Amino acid sequence: MILFEHVNKTYSNGFKALTDINLKIEQGEFVAIIGLSGAGKSTLIRSINKMISVTDGTLVVNGENISNLKGKSLRRFRRQIGMIFQSFNLVPRTTAIQNVLTAKVSDMPFWRVLLGIFTKKEQIEALEALDREGILDKAYMRVDQLSGGQQQRVALARTLLQKPQIILADEPVASLDPITAVQVMEDFKRINREDNITVIINIHHIDMALKYVDRIVGIKAGRIVFDGKASEVNQAVLDCIYGEEKEGTIDAKNVEFVKGETVSTI
Amino acid sequence: MQKMSNLLKGKQLVLSNGKCITKKRSMVPLILVIVLAFTYLSVVITGFDLGLLMRRWKEFFILLGQMFPPDLNYAAKVWGPLIATIQMSFLGTLVGAVLAIPFAIIAASNIMKSRILVGLTRLLISILRAIPTLVTALIATYIFGLGSFAGTVSICIFTFAYVGKIMYEQIETVFMGPFEAMESMGNGKLYAFIKAVVPQVLPIYLSTTLFCFEGNVRYAAILGYVGAGGIGLILNEKIGWREYECVGMILLMLYITVFIIESISRALRKTFDLRGR
Repeated sequence: MILFEHVNKTYSNGFKALTDINLKIEQGEFVAIIGLSGAGKSTLIRSINKMISVTDGTLVVNGENISNLKGKSLRRFRRQIGMIFQSFNLVPRTTAIQNVLTAKVSDMPFWRVLLGIFTKKEQIEALEALDREGILDKAYMRVDQLSGGQQQRVALARTLLQKPQIILADEPVASLDPITAVQVMEDFKRINREDNITVIINIHHIDMALKYVDRIVGIKAGRIVFDGKASEVNQAVLDCIYGEEKEGTIDAKNVEFVKGETVSTI
Repeated sequence: MQKMSNLLKGKQLVLSNGKCITKKRSMVPLILVIVLAFTYLSVVITGFDLGLLMRRWKEFFILLGQMFPPDLNYAAKVWGPLIATIQMSFLGTLVGAVLAIPFAIIAASNIMKSRILVGLTRLLISILRAIPTLVTALIATYIFGLGSFAGTVSICIFTFAYVGKIMYEQIETVFMGPFEAMESMGNGKLYAFIKAVVPQVLPIYLSTTLFCFEGNVRYAAILGYVGAGGIGLILNEKIGWREYECVGMILLMLYITVFIIESISRALRKTFDLRGR
């Protein structure tokens, strides 16, 4: 379970990214966080694994108050949380399996990390993770030679090998074409259902969010302005989240278009 | 004065809707003036004399003519110092390049968050790089005595500073996404560095080290002038005695050696795939 209580985040340059966030996410939920760029989606998601430390308020993840975590205990805590990024964040120049195997590194002795020695068992596990994502045949190809969708699947396989309880995904489909994006969303749905892993994603594609996730959290200028079932989201809710920000009304459809990504229709 | 500040400020462009934007002024004319000024100053200070160049350039070919044919019998005596030269550069490059690794990591501001540590390491690297190899070799001969050990030390120092500088700059330009991913999985900075940064910089590191080795062979050839061993010792001696056939032989063998080493190095560096960056 993830529990935010009166959480605030102010960056060192004075920018207030999160204001009085209260949020409770149960194990096994599939949640999408939506909002304009700069609304605080990334800050929210990164505060859960403490890649960003919140300024005040309490943040409890799996029964642990994470504000006190640092050093070794923080690293141990992070191992149970997987993370997926918009630009995949794979290590270039190395193969898919090498990338997946990095999930095992945190439990390995230094000399094995340095020399890059993995046991047969670890390699089989990595291959199985790739197989679950349907890209076993790409295991020994360099990741920079794979397509965007394939790269995101390598990243997913890497996260799966970590055996996480929670997966945080920061714009996982934003740099993918619509078809591949749908496939990756299907992957998330499957992982969420089969393994009961909590999945929290930041997403701009509202239609896709509404189709796949159970719960939508809308944030605007650092505040939660909507929290409810995906089926409850209507035009009024979207207007509230994306609402009259600048000159003229920007509705959700146009937001997608303006951002140079696929045009979504609701 | 008003004009001067306008010159530096750049040009104001006004759009039809009344919005104003400042166009950045090109720095090219200013740079051109500075370069010309320095060129003139250099000519004055160095006493560059085109007339002298025109009158004396033929002397070079007379000297070259005296080196031919090279004294082939002298070759037997060149082998020893030549191999010492290569050994000096090889060992110096190897040790220097390995020593450079931890310092390059500490000097990279994206890995090391302590500004002081980064600054101090960079200062050390730039100080060492500022001293010409010939000078470090001279100092080394005072400390370690005449011979190729002093040469090895000086080449080691130069390699350390050169590879260290290039590597910390390279480390700073790597794609930090994988590093973030490694940290998000609960790894410390060291593990994240090994798994996310090393694969990105390793080919550049090997390539830089080999390139440095090529240059070091040439440097090592003149270190003998200050008594730091190698082929420079006999080169200096034979030029002193005006035994130009021997000088010719030394230069010929040195040339062939450098050529071979550079060919091998180039072929090796080609195998490090630098694509996909």
